[in-house]
Amino acid sequence: MEIRVFQIVVPLLSLLFAVGLTTRYRKSRINLREYLFSLIFWSGLAVFSLFPDEISVFIARVFGIASNVNAVIFLGMGIMIYLIFMLYGEVRENRRQLTDLARKIALRDAEKETEE
Amino acid sequence: MSKKKFVTWVCLPAYNEAPVLQEVISELRSEGFHKICILNDGSTDGTEELARQLGVLVVSHPINRGAGAAAMTGIELARRRGWQHLAFMDADGQHIAHDLHSLHEQMYTQQCDLVVGSRFLKTNLCIPRSRRLLNNIANGMTNLFARGSYSDSQSGMRLLNRKAIEAISLKIDGFGFCSEMLMEAENHQLAIEEAAISVRYTAYSISKGQDLQIGFTTALNFLWNLLFR
Repeated sequence: MEIRVFQIVVPLLSLLFAVGLTTRYRKSRINLREYLFSLIFWSGLAVFSLFPDEISVFIARVFGIASNVNAVIFLGMGIMIYLIFMLYGEVRENRRQLTDLARKIALRDAEKETEE
Repeated sequence: MSKKKFVTWVCLPAYNEAPVLQEVISELRSEGFHKICILNDGSTDGTEELARQLGVLVVSHPINRGAGAAAMTGIELARRRGWQHLAFMDADGQHIAHDLHSLHEQMYTQQCDLVVGSRFLKTNLCIPRSRRLLNNIANGMTNLFARGSYSDSQSGMRLLNRKAIEAISLKIDGFGFCSEMLMEAENHQLAIEEAAISVRYTAYSISKGQDLQIGFTTALNFLWNLLFR
């Protein structure tokens, strides 16, 4: 099997990030769920870089897409769009909580002034 | 409901309106409205301090959250304090205080729960073309999803009775609350009427209102809330 440059760089980088993640988990900067999810992601990326053709052909066959490159791109875009929607939902929830908090503070201060 | 028993608190959502605040409050007082509340939405130009000096009730958000957020704070305050009538008016001097009497007249004669002041019921008003266009788009969108047909869904001059105060809850922080309030009122089977009002456009008030970009974001927010909430 011919070894390409990215098949060395990507696994090494993934290993580096996994070590960093483990350190952060040990220092309780991230919880177990975040640690495992991130570990799975970086491991998956490393595996994909080692067998890119085999995995992309498999994905193309599963989704019925002729080109394996398109299959990976479409899958990646789908995952990104899903994540963007999730992020947008989180941002909206944060905005709502911020507004609720600002309102609570405003009304509490108004009540205090009335009592004075 | 006896007309004499209308005791109305006038709430003005305000963000950086120090240049015109004194005039607006003086005008309200000259029209007999002495129960005034400034809903200060995180202003940084001394609006809060000026409002206190002018002797009105001030409720202040610590940070800017938007006109809709300020309006909902006003509604929540009205609920807590048992206010029977709550009027909203813009703090930028665009509205004419005298028109609040028209809203009261309409509420009294029609026995309705929410009156919206409409700039487009009078034909002789000089409204900038850009404003007409934005309002036409906003009205079109609101009327598409609402049961009623409103001539000025984006008007900030409104009068709510106690039933409307208790029923209406706003979730949109920005200018989309104007349409949201109408839809909320419909959902709670409140009686809604419009009353003709005048408007005073100055370079200052035009700079404070919605522009195309804000209008676009407002529309997106409104649609998102409609579809996903």
